[in-house]
Amino acid sequence: MSSLQGYVDRRVLLILQDGRAIAGVLVGFDQKSNVVLSDSTERVYSMEEGVEEIPLGLYLVKGDMIVLIGEIDDAVDQAVDLSTIRAEPLPAIRY
Amino acid sequence: MLPLSLLTAAQNKPMLVELKNGETFNGHLVNCDNFMNITLREVYQTSADGDRFWKLKECYIRGSTIKYLRVPDTLLDAVKDEQARAREAGRSARGAGPGGRGGRGAPPRGRGGARGAGPRGGRGRGRG
Repeated sequence: MSSLQGYVDRRVLLILQDGRAIAGVLVGFDQKSNVVLSDSTERVYSMEEGVEEIPLGLYLVKGDMIVLIGEIDDAVDQAVDLSTIRAEPLPAIRY
Repeated sequence: MLPLSLLTAAQNKPMLVELKNGETFNGHLVNCDNFMNITLREVYQTSADGDRFWKLKECYIRGSTIKYLRVPDTLLDAVKDEQARAREAGRSARGAGPGGRGGRGAPPRGRGGARGAGPRGGRGRGRG
Protein backbone atom coordinates (compact mmCIF):
# COMPACT_ATOMS: atom_id res chain seq x y z
CA MET A 1 0.00 0.00 0.00
CA SER A 2 1.44 3.39 -0.92
CA SER A 3 1.70 5.93 1.85
CA LEU A 4 2.69 9.55 2.23
CA GLN A 5 5.15 8.62 4.95
CA GLY A 6 8.00 8.87 2.46
CA TYR A 7 7.18 12.53 1.84
CA VAL A 8 7.15 13.67 5.47
CA ASP A 9 9.51 16.59 6.18
CA ARG A 10 10.08 17.07 2.45
CA ARG A 11 8.90 19.94 0.30
CA VAL A 12 5.86 18.94 -1.73
CA LEU A 13 3.54 20.54 -4.25
CA LEU A 14 -0.18 20.05 -3.67
CA ILE A 15 -2.67 20.46 -6.48
CA LEU A 16 -6.19 21.11 -5.18
CA GLN A 17 -9.54 20.58 -6.87
CA ASP A 18 -10.02 24.31 -7.40
CA GLY A 19 -6.82 24.39 -9.47
CA ARG A 20 -4.60 25.90 -6.80
CA ALA A 21 -0.97 24.84 -6.44
CA ILE A 22 0.40 25.00 -2.91
CA ALA A 23 4.04 24.26 -2.09
CA GLY A 24 5.12 23.49 1.47
CA VAL A 25 6.86 21.11 3.85
CA LEU A 26 4.74 18.05 4.62
CA VAL A 27 4.47 17.91 8.39
CA GLY A 28 1.80 15.25 8.75
CA PHE A 29 -1.06 13.38 7.15
CA ASP A 30 -3.71 10.83 8.03
CA GLN A 31 -5.65 7.98 6.45
CA LYS A 32 -8.08 10.35 4.74
CA SER A 33 -5.13 12.21 3.16
CA ASN A 34 -5.77 15.33 5.22
CA VAL A 35 -2.41 17.07 5.08
CA VAL A 36 -0.51 19.54 7.26
CA LEU A 37 1.89 21.82 5.38
CA SER A 38 4.25 24.31 7.00
CA ASP A 39 5.94 27.29 5.31
CA SER A 40 3.45 26.92 2.54
CA THR A 41 3.17 29.27 -0.40
CA GLU A 42 0.56 29.41 -3.11
CA ARG A 43 1.99 29.57 -6.61
CA VAL A 44 -0.22 31.53 -8.96
CA TYR A 45 0.62 30.94 -12.62
CA SER A 46 -0.24 33.40 -15.36
CA MET A 47 0.45 33.89 -19.06
CA GLU A 48 1.20 37.61 -18.66
CA GLU A 49 3.48 37.76 -15.63
CA GLY A 50 5.78 35.37 -13.83
CA VAL A 51 4.72 33.09 -11.01
CA GLU A 52 3.36 34.91 -7.98
CA GLU A 53 4.24 33.26 -4.67
CA ILE A 54 1.82 34.07 -1.85
CA PRO A 55 3.11 33.02 1.60
CA LEU A 56 0.47 31.17 3.58
CA GLY A 57 2.18 29.72 6.67
CA LEU A 58 0.77 26.66 8.45
CA TYR A 59 -1.98 25.00 6.46
CA LEU A 60 -4.28 22.07 7.15
CA VAL A 61 -5.79 20.87 3.87
CA LYS A 62 -8.75 18.50 3.75
CA GLY A 63 -7.94 15.26 1.97
CA ASP A 64 -11.01 15.36 -0.25
CA MET A 65 -9.74 18.60 -1.81
CA ILE A 66 -6.38 17.16 -2.84
CA VAL A 67 -5.82 15.95 -6.38
CA LEU A 68 -2.08 15.40 -6.41
CA ILE A 69 0.90 15.55 -4.07
CA GLY A 70 4.31 15.68 -5.69
CA GLU A 71 7.74 15.77 -4.09
CA ILE A 72 9.69 18.92 -4.98
CA ASP A 73 13.30 18.41 -5.96
CA ASP A 74 14.90 21.27 -3.99
CA ALA A 75 17.92 21.53 -6.27
CA VAL A 76 15.78 21.92 -9.38
CA ASP A 77 13.34 24.22 -7.63
CA GLN A 78 16.07 26.62 -6.44
CA ALA A 79 17.51 26.77 -9.95
CA VAL A 80 14.22 27.88 -11.47
CA ASP A 81 13.62 31.62 -11.83
CA LEU A 82 9.90 31.89 -11.18
CA SER A 83 9.63 35.34 -12.76
CA THR A 84 10.43 33.90 -16.19
CA ILE A 85 7.76 31.22 -16.12
CA ARG A 86 4.60 31.72 -18.15
CA ALA A 87 1.85 29.19 -17.77
CA GLU A 88 -1.91 28.92 -17.96
CA PRO A 89 -3.39 28.57 -14.50
CA LEU A 90 -5.05 25.22 -13.88
CA PRO A 91 -8.84 25.33 -14.07
CA ALA A 92 -10.98 23.89 -11.29
CA ILE A 93 -12.26 20.35 -11.56
CA ARG A 94 -15.63 20.07 -13.24
CA TYR A 95 -17.65 16.97 -12.51
CA MET B 1 2.00 14.68 13.14
CA LEU B 2 -1.66 13.94 12.51
CA PRO B 3 -3.80 16.76 11.11
CA LEU B 4 -6.52 16.10 13.70
CA SER B 5 -4.07 16.27 16.58
CA LEU B 6 -2.81 19.60 15.27
CA LEU B 7 -6.40 20.82 15.12
CA THR B 8 -7.22 19.61 18.63
CA ALA B 9 -4.13 21.40 19.90
CA ALA B 10 -5.35 24.57 18.19
CA GLN B 11 -8.31 25.02 20.54
CA ASN B 12 -8.72 28.67 21.55
CA LYS B 13 -6.35 29.75 18.81
CA PRO B 14 -7.42 32.01 15.94
CA MET B 15 -7.74 30.49 12.52
CA LEU B 16 -9.12 30.98 9.06
CA VAL B 17 -11.41 28.35 7.58
CA GLU B 18 -12.27 28.31 3.90
CA LEU B 19 -15.23 26.24 2.82
CA LYS B 20 -15.65 24.43 -0.46
CA ASN B 21 -18.07 27.14 -1.58
CA GLY B 22 -15.38 29.80 -1.09
CA GLU B 23 -16.77 31.43 2.05
CA THR B 24 -14.21 32.20 4.74
CA PHE B 25 -14.64 32.15 8.48
CA ASN B 26 -12.14 33.88 10.76
CA GLY B 27 -12.49 32.97 14.42
CA HIS B 28 -11.21 31.17 17.47
CA LEU B 29 -11.56 27.41 17.60
CA VAL B 30 -13.82 26.20 20.38
CA ASN B 31 -13.93 22.49 19.65
CA CYS B 32 -13.46 19.88 16.95
CA ASP B 33 -14.17 16.20 16.39
CA ASN B 34 -12.92 13.30 14.32
CA PHE B 35 -14.95 14.38 11.32
CA MET B 36 -13.31 17.80 11.56
CA ASN B 37 -16.69 19.34 12.42
CA ILE B 38 -15.70 22.51 14.30
CA THR B 39 -17.22 25.23 16.41
CA LEU B 40 -15.76 28.73 16.27
CA ARG B 41 -16.44 31.83 18.38
CA GLU B 42 -16.12 35.55 17.56
CA VAL B 43 -16.38 34.76 13.88
CA TYR B 44 -16.04 37.08 10.89
CA GLN B 45 -17.69 35.44 7.90
CA THR B 46 -16.92 36.62 4.37
CA SER B 47 -18.87 35.63 1.30
CA ALA B 48 -17.15 33.82 -1.55
CA ASP B 49 -16.98 36.96 -3.71
CA GLY B 50 -15.55 38.99 -0.83
CA ASP B 51 -18.45 41.45 -0.98
CA ARG B 52 -20.48 40.60 2.09
CA PHE B 53 -19.45 40.26 5.72
CA TRP B 54 -21.10 38.96 8.83
CA LYS B 55 -20.09 38.85 12.46
CA LEU B 56 -21.22 35.76 14.35
CA LYS B 57 -20.83 35.07 18.03
CA GLU B 58 -20.51 31.35 17.44
CA CYS B 59 -20.84 29.02 14.51
CA TYR B 60 -20.70 25.32 13.74
CA ILE B 61 -19.04 24.14 10.54
CA ARG B 62 -19.49 20.62 9.21
CA GLY B 63 -16.14 19.05 8.44
CA SER B 64 -17.19 17.79 5.02
CA THR B 65 -17.69 21.37 3.81
CA ILE B 66 -14.21 22.54 4.73
CA LYS B 67 -11.62 23.12 2.03
CA TYR B 68 -8.74 24.07 4.29
CA LEU B 69 -7.83 25.71 7.57
CA ARG B 70 -5.08 28.25 8.06
CA VAL B 71 -3.58 28.27 11.54
CA PRO B 72 -0.89 30.40 13.26
CA ASP B 73 2.66 29.26 12.44
CA THR B 74 3.59 29.27 16.11
CA LEU B 75 1.12 26.43 16.67
CA LEU B 76 3.41 23.89 14.99
CA ASP B 77 6.28 24.42 17.42
CA ALA B 78 3.89 24.58 20.37
CA VAL B 79 2.36 21.20 19.45
CA LYS B 80 5.71 19.55 18.81
CA ASP B 81 6.97 20.73 22.22
CA GLU B 82 3.83 19.47 23.90
CA GLN B 83 4.09 16.07 22.25
CA ALA B 84 7.76 15.80 23.22
CA ARG B 85 6.92 16.76 26.81
CA ALA B 86 4.05 14.24 26.96
CA ARG B 87 6.37 11.54 25.67
CA GLU B 88 9.00 12.36 28.30
CA ALA B 89 6.36 12.37 31.04
CA GLY B 90 5.00 9.03 29.80
CA ARG B 91 8.47 7.48 29.71
CA SER B 92 9.44 8.60 33.19
CA ALA B 93 6.07 7.52 34.61
CA ARG B 94 6.48 4.07 33.10
CA GLY B 95 10.05 3.78 34.33
CA ALA B 96 8.98 4.62 37.90
CA GLY B 97 6.17 2.03 37.78
CA PRO B 98 6.67 -1.57 39.03
CA GLY B 99 8.22 -3.02 35.86
CA GLY B 100 5.18 -2.00 33.87
CA ARG B 101 6.70 -3.06 30.56
CA GLY B 102 7.14 -6.67 31.65
CA GLY B 103 3.60 -6.78 33.04
CA ARG B 104 2.07 -5.55 29.79
CA GLY B 105 4.25 -7.74 27.70
CA ALA B 106 4.79 -5.30 24.81
CA PRO B 107 7.15 -2.35 24.37
CA PRO B 108 5.50 1.06 24.83
CA ARG B 109 6.51 2.22 21.37
CA GLY B 110 4.77 -0.70 19.73
CA ARG B 111 1.55 0.14 21.58
CA GLY B 112 1.89 3.80 20.70
CA GLY B 113 2.31 2.93 17.05
CA ALA B 114 -0.82 0.79 16.95
CA ARG B 115 -2.88 3.51 18.63
CA GLY B 116 -1.48 6.27 16.51
CA ALA B 117 -3.44 5.17 13.42
CA GLY B 118 -2.28 5.01 9.80
CA PRO B 119 1.07 6.68 9.26
CA ARG B 120 3.15 5.26 12.09
CA GLY B 121 1.60 1.82 11.77
CA GLY B 122 2.42 1.89 8.05
CA ARG B 123 6.06 2.56 8.70
CA GLY B 124 6.20 -0.28 11.21
CA ARG B 125 4.75 -2.66 8.68
CA GLY B 126 7.55 -1.65 6.40
CA ARG B 127 5.71 -1.53 3.17
CA GLY B 128 5.65 2.32 2.54
